[in-house]
Amino acid sequence: MAQRAVWLISHEPGTPLCGTVRFSRRYPTVEKRARVFNGASYVPIPEDGPFLKALLFELRLLDDDKDFVESRDSCSRINKTSIYGLLIGGEELWPVVAFLKNDIIYACVPLVEQTLSPRPPLISVSGVSQGFEFLFGIQDFLYSGQKNDSELNTKLSQLPDLLLQACPFGTLLDANLQNSLDNTNFASVTQPQKQPAWKTGTYKGKPQVSISITEKVKSMQYDKQGVADTWQVVGTVTCKCDLEGIMPNVTISLNLPTNGSPLQDILVHPCVTSLDSAILTSSSIDAMDDSAFSGPYKFPFTPPLESFNLCYYTSQVPVPPILGFYQMKEEEVQLRITINLKLHESVKNTFEFCEAHIPFYNRGPITHLEYKTSFGQLEVFREKSLLIWIIGQKFPKSMEISLSGTVTFGAKSHEKQPFDPICIGETAYLKLHFRILDYTLTGCYADQHSVQVFASGKPKISAYRKLISSDYYIWNSKAPAPVTYGSLLL
Amino acid sequence: MGPLSRDAWAQRLGAFRASPSAFMAGPEGEDLGRNLLGDLRSEKLSEQTKVSLLALSLEYPAQLWPDVSAAEVAATSLLDTLVLLPPRPSALRRPLLLAATTALAAGGALGPTSGASCRLLPLLLGLASGSDLGRGFVPASEQRPLQATACECLRELESCKPGLLRGSLGLLRGLLGQEGPVQPLSLLLALVLRNTLVLQSRVGAGLGGLLTDKVSPTGGGPWDWTLVEKGDGRLQPQAPSWPAAEEGEGERSLTAREHSPEEARELRAAVIQLLDTSYLLTPVAQAQLLWLLGWALRGLQGQPPALFKPQLVRLLGTAQMTLLHAVLALKAAFGEALFTAQDEALLLRRLTLAAQHPALPLPTHLFYLHCLLSFPENWPLGPEGEEAAPLLLGPQLCRGLLPSLLHDPMALLARLHLLCLLCAEDEEEEKGQLPSPRHYLEELLAGLRQQAALDEGPRALATVCFQASYLVTRCLAGQPIVLTPLIHGLAQLYRVRPMLASHFVDFLDQVDSELREPLKVVLRQEVVSRLGRDEALCWHLKMLAKVADGDAQSATLNFLQAAAAHCTNWDLQQGLLRVCRALLRAGVRGGLVDLLQVLARQLEDPDGRDHARLYYILLAHLAGPKLGVALGPSLAPPALASSLVAENQGFVAALMVQEAPALVRLSVGSHGVKGPLPVLKLQPEALEPIYSLEVRFHVEGQLYAPLEAVHVPCLCPGRPARPLFLPLQPRCPAPARLDVHALYTTSTGLTCHAHLPPLFVNFADLFLPFPQPPEGAGLGFFEELWDSCLPEGAESRVWCSLGPQGLEGLVSRHLEPFVVVAQPPTSYYVAIHLPPNSKLLLRLEAALADGVPVALRTDDWAVLPLAGDYLRGLAAAL
Repeated sequence: MAQRAVWLISHEPGTPLCGTVRFSRRYPTVEKRARVFNGASYVPIPEDGPFLKALLFELRLLDDDKDFVESRDSCSRINKTSIYGLLIGGEELWPVVAFLKNDIIYACVPLVEQTLSPRPPLISVSGVSQGFEFLFGIQDFLYSGQKNDSELNTKLSQLPDLLLQACPFGTLLDANLQNSLDNTNFASVTQPQKQPAWKTGTYKGKPQVSISITEKVKSMQYDKQGVADTWQVVGTVTCKCDLEGIMPNVTISLNLPTNGSPLQDILVHPCVTSLDSAILTSSSIDAMDDSAFSGPYKFPFTPPLESFNLCYYTSQVPVPPILGFYQMKEEEVQLRITINLKLHESVKNTFEFCEAHIPFYNRGPITHLEYKTSFGQLEVFREKSLLIWIIGQKFPKSMEISLSGTVTFGAKSHEKQPFDPICIGETAYLKLHFRILDYTLTGCYADQHSVQVFASGKPKISAYRKLISSDYYIWNSKAPAPVTYGSLLL
Repeated sequence: MGPLSRDAWAQRLGAFRASPSAFMAGPEGEDLGRNLLGDLRSEKLSEQTKVSLLALSLEYPAQLWPDVSAAEVAATSLLDTLVLLPPRPSALRRPLLLAATTALAAGGALGPTSGASCRLLPLLLGLASGSDLGRGFVPASEQRPLQATACECLRELESCKPGLLRGSLGLLRGLLGQEGPVQPLSLLLALVLRNTLVLQSRVGAGLGGLLTDKVSPTGGGPWDWTLVEKGDGRLQPQAPSWPAAEEGEGERSLTAREHSPEEARELRAAVIQLLDTSYLLTPVAQAQLLWLLGWALRGLQGQPPALFKPQLVRLLGTAQMTLLHAVLALKAAFGEALFTAQDEALLLRRLTLAAQHPALPLPTHLFYLHCLLSFPENWPLGPEGEEAAPLLLGPQLCRGLLPSLLHDPMALLARLHLLCLLCAEDEEEEKGQLPSPRHYLEELLAGLRQQAALDEGPRALATVCFQASYLVTRCLAGQPIVLTPLIHGLAQLYRVRPMLASHFVDFLDQVDSELREPLKVVLRQEVVSRLGRDEALCWHLKMLAKVADGDAQSATLNFLQAAAAHCTNWDLQQGLLRVCRALLRAGVRGGLVDLLQVLARQLEDPDGRDHARLYYILLAHLAGPKLGVALGPSLAPPALASSLVAENQGFVAALMVQEAPALVRLSVGSHGVKGPLPVLKLQPEALEPIYSLEVRFHVEGQLYAPLEAVHVPCLCPGRPARPLFLPLQPRCPAPARLDVHALYTTSTGLTCHAHLPPLFVNFADLFLPFPQPPEGAGLGFFEELWDSCLPEGAESRVWCSLGPQGLEGLVSRHLEPFVVVAQPPTSYYVAIHLPPNSKLLLRLEAALADGVPVALRTDDWAVLPLAGDYLRGLAAAL
């Protein structure tokens, strides 16, 4: 279980190479083992230049995708995981774990402790999950609190030293690179016995525990016969525990009000020491019934120093917070649109913001617009062919608002207007963006009194909640729309 | 040269990293390793610069110190540098330890005879045990980090030389129980334990006191080179490949050895000790521990896998990829012994959930999807190594995992695979499931085709559409209910966007004939139903070159005729000619002759006209099959990258007779004595399948009349071939040498000519019997012949030795057909007709035990020496 090499590559479309290797690290002792294990099927780790080229080609990130290239475009070259074989100098380097996130390509090559021909199934290669975790760890480190390019550069320049701690010989010791950074900084602190490896020091100061619940609500609304609207809540509980002692124990309970929606699909942080079987088995896969476990959801854990995601959950609330319909019709040279949105009465009517984005894909710029709205203002982005309906902080008393109008478009020029493979013809959507503070759709909350802390001193406990929209789509009901299998299960 | 400045080093390191091979080939390459070691002791360089030098040596030791001795020197120098560090905190100690370890392990210098190894190992073990190394070697503040680093270094050495630290098991266990840093010691102990278990069982030994002895039994240090040397090159996979392990052969027998109750108890205690503190490890380290211990204990008697149970619930709750993966590894290692059917169902549910959980990133989803389809079931049903949906993963569980157009291409394909597997199962199960997965699949494919049809769409959209179609044809082959709409959908896609012709050609190349043939037909119809004038003409021609065959000739030719008028540039003309070529290969003749004639006159481009004329000539002069071969893919790799040259080379190869090594062997069998002429029986044998074999013979010196060639339709190696009969027409009764040539066609369609080794016609091969005289008249007949030989002929007497079988044996073996009068066992009269018109008469009488006197007469002087040789040959053959 080890990595032979790791790379960070920035994707730079439009430049001659389309990318630059920003960081790379090779592990020669692992490489030596790979040579023995792989035997005749061994392919050495290439230098950065050839690797960059092969990886960008494989990931279709080179600018030359005009022509059909069999080694990339053939229908039989099917990749179903983020793990690739790269053709370099006539040989295939496999497995290369790679993914693109925020214009950075994260890549590594795990050691496979056997021959590569025939290829063993990925599930049997222990280094694959380690490789992913390694890359996720680097990604978290680069993007936690990072705001601009110079900060990114600073963090990139710290990587060699950090990996000397977190992965000195290719076997990953800790995916949390921030820990390694703290470790380097506090090297003089002598660690006491039985210090967890994931906790590099101890906290000194006022004890406090902060719990914040963020729920994201997704929805697909069609307003159509035979197609069900779908929506789902995804919650993240983030904790920061500033407590003295090596291994303070904390138990946090999440509670639901009497008519709250049960939490399902709960995934917990590895620091959680035990789990109730009801929590483990509560799943969105099963049909819902009244007997579903509805809490309290207890999570006993020993917190790490840093802020961490204690758990994730999903939930199926009975109604979507905002129900809407969108009708769009092509009438000769113009589009006629009608939109209606209704906030459910049970939802807290105090938004931080609420907007409806109405994009028009595969068309020219907006040249003319006539509209009437019952509430809010409309912003027009002509060149982007986008309307933004700013609804503001509150729905009116009726809880229902509408917008109707006609839009005319100019000639299409390929570079400027957005292309979308799905919104063809009248197939179109509007997307809602909103945020409500101090509110969760499930009703889920962390009761400050039920937080148990086994550590010296009584900590100050603070709890936060918010609801955010995410992928909240309302499709034009007058045209076909992409459906999921779930929408067809009426 | 003095030490380089910080900037000079930064520049050098940058240049090196940009391309190590180029740098090493340059002027500075040779000294880099030496300079680096030297400058580590320079007082002018900052620690930070030195750390960056060491970082380079950690990554590129093979470039810096390319051979074993250089690696040894480097490691020694690094250790010296370490010892010479002043006794104050320094950022160099850690990287120096890592660098020395890397230099030894990667450079292949690690071994009992290496001085650096013998310095490094005690140093590492001392540091790992936290013992005082004296003289302030380790400042107090660095003790802890260095202890961890030493453990990491030891672990790397043990990984590269399994068994090296076998003798330290007890020591490490003791350290873990005391004050040592938990994670590095746990991982080191687990690795050494695993390696020891494997190696001990391989040599048939138990653990003995290894787990409890604090001091090595071998003396001279707790490392053990003996096992290492034996097991060298046999590195231990941390988790052997699952399917291989399932076969059970190697691994199981390795661990089958029983340990004594004492050993088993200590082993269990050590494992429990490791597992109990595993929560103190980082998640990735926990995962490593589980992989190591799981596969070490697999099949080990007295070590119940239930030891792992307390960890499982905790692990199942997390979404950490390494942890869930480690649980799957335990599942694969122990199966039902650790996971009951209910546990298995729970694990599958957690995996299903993780494969779609909105809080997890896409690469994680995809990996879990792969794990689902390769899930190590307790009782797998399907063929091993093939992706399949586990039995417990019913349609209900899969619902959330089905694809939609909104998914990323990889997610779409992965989920599509699952959907196909569901459709395949659905075929057998009851209908009425609404909506039916198959219907959903069709809608999805239609959506993908719609995206691929978009004018401005990137190529990736088309690629995904064809990949999805290919996946469906692979999974659902033999289901016309799926394939028929697919075929028509694709034809429609072509109608809308012919520029995807390359994708279609590739698709046709990849799919089975079940889909290929009907798809070809509809695509051909799509193309030929167009008017010749079309912006997409070049794509139509490309498509047609792939799908044109003998069917629907007239429509195809009409299309081509109409298209010819619009083929105004070289590209289009070549495209047109490629279709003609495809038609030629398919054996189309009639209308094509006219078309080629027209093209040979009318095409604007001279190259195009030449080609058309060439095809016309070929068509007019070659038979169908030959034409097919001539126009097939070029057999010889083209010397020039010109299409015309390549094509002509193909013709040359295909149309000319090739001189080739003989692919056929002939051997002479026993000769027949029936009929008016001697006949040589030849046994042919082919080394490769060959066809239309013609064997030609030439007799030296015109001894015989010219020989007819022999024809064989086909010969295959391994299949018994009929013998060939070659009638000989001697002009004089003499042995001869036959030159043999073979002309044949290979399975690739080449006509070859080969020289075969010569064949020899022996004197005896010419023997024919006289017509059998009536019963009782033999003696008179013989006497008449005997007398007729003289006076023109010749007479002789020869002594012929006899073997143990006596005269009777000799005659029956060689002369049987020619015996006229027989008085066994002592007397035989033999009359041989030698074509064209000679005779040889033998009297074998009054045989003794060791020989027989032979009186011989012939009417042909020239035969006498041959006959003498023949008889002596018989004697010699005894």
